[in-house]
Amino acid sequence: MARAQAEQQPATGTTLIVMVGLSIAFLLFMAFLNVVKSGNLLSEANLLYAALIFYAGAGALYLGFGVTATQSYIRFASLATWAGLVANTAAVAHRWYEAGHPPFASLYEMLLSFVWTLAALTLVAEKRYGVKVIGTVTMPVAIVAVVLMQLLRSEVRPLVPALQSTWLHIHVTLAMLAYAACALSFALAMMFLIQDRMKTETFLAATSVFTVGIYAAILTRFEGWGGFSVVAWDVENKSEMFLSRGVRLFVTIPDLGWLMLLVFAAVAAPLVLYAVAHFRKNEAFLAAANRAVFISILLQTLALIFFLVRARDGRYPSLDADGLYPTALAASPFILSALVGGIFANLLYLLLLWRREDLEKLLPDADALDRITYKTICIAFPLLTLMIAAGAYWANRAWGSYWSWDPKETWAAITWLVYAGYLHMRITRGWRGRRAAYFAILGFAVVMFTFFGVTYLLPGLHAYA
Amino acid sequence: MGLRSAFRKIWQTLSSIKTGVILIISVVIFSAAGTVILQRPMTEPEDMQRAYSPAMLRLLDAAGLTDVFHARWFIALMLLVSLSIIAASVERFPNAWRFYARPYKSPDDGFRKALPTQALIPIKHEESGLSAAERALKSLGLHSERIVRTNSFSVFAERNRISEMAVYIVHASLLLIFLGGIVDALYGWRGFLTLTPGATGSQIEMKNGAAKSFPFAIRCDGTGEETYTDGTPKRWWSKLTVLDGGREVEQKEIVVNDPLVYRGVRFYQASYGRTGKLDRLIVDATPVKALTQTPQQISLALNQTADLDGDTSVQLAEFIPDFVVEGGHVYTRSNDIENPAVHLIVASKKTGTVVNVWLPEIPGIAENASSPYRFEPKDLKTGYFTGLEVSHEPGQWAVWAGVVLMAIGLTFVFYISHLRFWAVPVHDGTGRVALWVGGTANRNRDAFQDKFKRLAGQIQKELKSEVAASLESNAASLAGR
Repeated sequence: MARAQAEQQPATGTTLIVMVGLSIAFLLFMAFLNVVKSGNLLSEANLLYAALIFYAGAGALYLGFGVTATQSYIRFASLATWAGLVANTAAVAHRWYEAGHPPFASLYEMLLSFVWTLAALTLVAEKRYGVKVIGTVTMPVAIVAVVLMQLLRSEVRPLVPALQSTWLHIHVTLAMLAYAACALSFALAMMFLIQDRMKTETFLAATSVFTVGIYAAILTRFEGWGGFSVVAWDVENKSEMFLSRGVRLFVTIPDLGWLMLLVFAAVAAPLVLYAVAHFRKNEAFLAAANRAVFISILLQTLALIFFLVRARDGRYPSLDADGLYPTALAASPFILSALVGGIFANLLYLLLLWRREDLEKLLPDADALDRITYKTICIAFPLLTLMIAAGAYWANRAWGSYWSWDPKETWAAITWLVYAGYLHMRITRGWRGRRAAYFAILGFAVVMFTFFGVTYLLPGLHAYA
Repeated sequence: MGLRSAFRKIWQTLSSIKTGVILIISVVIFSAAGTVILQRPMTEPEDMQRAYSPAMLRLLDAAGLTDVFHARWFIALMLLVSLSIIAASVERFPNAWRFYARPYKSPDDGFRKALPTQALIPIKHEESGLSAAERALKSLGLHSERIVRTNSFSVFAERNRISEMAVYIVHASLLLIFLGGIVDALYGWRGFLTLTPGATGSQIEMKNGAAKSFPFAIRCDGTGEETYTDGTPKRWWSKLTVLDGGREVEQKEIVVNDPLVYRGVRFYQASYGRTGKLDRLIVDATPVKALTQTPQQISLALNQTADLDGDTSVQLAEFIPDFVVEGGHVYTRSNDIENPAVHLIVASKKTGTVVNVWLPEIPGIAENASSPYRFEPKDLKTGYFTGLEVSHEPGQWAVWAGVVLMAIGLTFVFYISHLRFWAVPVHDGTGRVALWVGGTANRNRDAFQDKFKRLAGQIQKELKSEVAASLESNAASLAGR
């Protein structure tokens, strides 16, 4: 605090910090009142709520930096992240104690562990590697994850026989650490590209391609007459509705499909405009492309809002069964993540577009980032190796086979091969800089597919996460 | 082109990094295909036919894409990967071994000129310089040795020379894992065995339908399930006894994640369920003529007859687990006990009449009204079975050994650096002596630069303190002996 007062701050600088500070205090006070009423101070829900408040404050300050370029925001954002991590640790400890096992047994518990790891790694990256702006990326992700957790079943579920093993904890811990390290290397590779003077329009094209990919995946749920399919929700049992063993019941939300198609066109527009600008060598189209990104963010937010509203209320018909069935946000965690992820990626692009010079001043130089990316992958790769080995050993004890070419196993092996490729190219071929960064980004894309794509798009034994 | 040069060319291609990368990419593409295209071993034939048109399915089958991971060309690809690893290692190993086995302790002129990390420190005379270097190296944790040169000494220190071999350890471990996999693919087997309590089995059914027997028998002495309050399974257990040569040699209660292992064969608790077969039916029987009488409780197994009184007897004729009535007959829809029905035959010795009683009373088929006894079902004890996954995987030890070796190898590759330092006194033309200090590291070069700077600084500190010490001792000797 003393240091901050010693600094000269513009009026807008103090305003945001004071606002965020007051909001945090207010929300905590309200929570405290509520807690006093119910008499349950240190419940897991309260601790998680406190963590959410602090992460939200940190996120606001990081993004506030993005808009106003005030340096001191970073410091307070860091403090807020610390506070959130403390609350989060308490929540994890509480959950562990209540459940009798580490939090790895359901999607809710996995998100809890993931958010904790994310906050911890943000602080490590800031202190150890001096990359102070990484919170701009990680805190909003943490906020989304905690919000998602509010929608999911949170009761302590007892473990089914296959999950009752120490090797489960070992395998999942290694997986979380490995994926977090890969995520970090992705963020660092992106920062390298910024420092390596990659053109802003290339980032535009990449963001657009990513968003188009998301909406293409979302549109696999498009039904012929404009409806949008989601999984039905069993309100009594608080779980997805099943037709028969392993087969989910899908309902169709009318007209939502058309909206998604419209938004798909909107997110494809910047890419088209970029292509035109690139091939016709006409700068004016680039300006139009940037405006199109702004419009696409608005439309994506619209799609998100409509999805939220429709999913929460209403009963919808199904193609596979008679009658009307309800759905819930908890039934479509991946669609929700995809929609939020698209908005988030586009917002980050705008941050780059508006604040590039300030970001370049705050980040280490390109060479340093290249080396740090390599070092991060040197941590991620052994973790990936151990994760696969632990998974194989556990599978051997549970199902009698250490490798059955199950899609999740196979894609984990593919991820391993891609990072092995990165290391080979770097060590023996001396690939540095841009090519190494692209490889690191490719690696993370494969990690994301292994984590989300396999569960969501492909069938198999890995039903748990 | 002669045979020798042809072989040379093949060897060069096989051991090149480019080949390695192309092979890795091929494995990635075909493995990904194997996760996206439905694979026959895991998918039911009807689902395959529903997912692909007949023409597409014929094409996929012919190309082996419906069972990628067992297709010959995929196995050949994996063999090629192994060969390329072996070739690349063999090609580069001799050099690495020479480097490892013969440390370069005395750097010559050309080497000294070309080394990127070096420093030149002016010294008074050779001996003080060398001993300062030795002390400095010691403070850094390195053990140094004196090397004899043509007409002077030099100092050499190194650490973790094994790090030069690290990459070969990693690749060897990968080959070990592949070897384990191949052994299991050729000599391993797995299948399923279902046992009910009291039953003995020594044969399993494999995925392709074939049977495989093992040279001993397994007897199930009991099996059970514990559930949580909401019904989800908590624990499946089976008490198993191994009978080898007719004798009981081993006993174990197994649960999921904790198998029984005997002579390399592993028995895993995989599942548990009801057999759909009736063990016993418990029913209360009251004579129609005296309904207030306390009912008799009868326990019947299938086809068993029990006497109700001197004249009447009842037999459990049929047990239908999931009944459905069609065309005046009772059929079972499935083997799951969803909708059970029992058929009792009540016979009278005196009159010879036979009444077909059905519980529940199925209209049009049951003749419950004409029965001299009323029956009330009390309990249906069904049989339970335990599902055991049985496997024999002799190659797994190579796989685990390979994993451990790879962990060691990767630790060395990423975190253990081979450090080398030299200190050589050099004379420039004008008669002044300087200490040439040089160093190399095979990894973490930026951390090494810091270490080298510290070493150079430390050497200078040692030289200064030596001068100060000698001055002091001189002063002391001058002052008063």
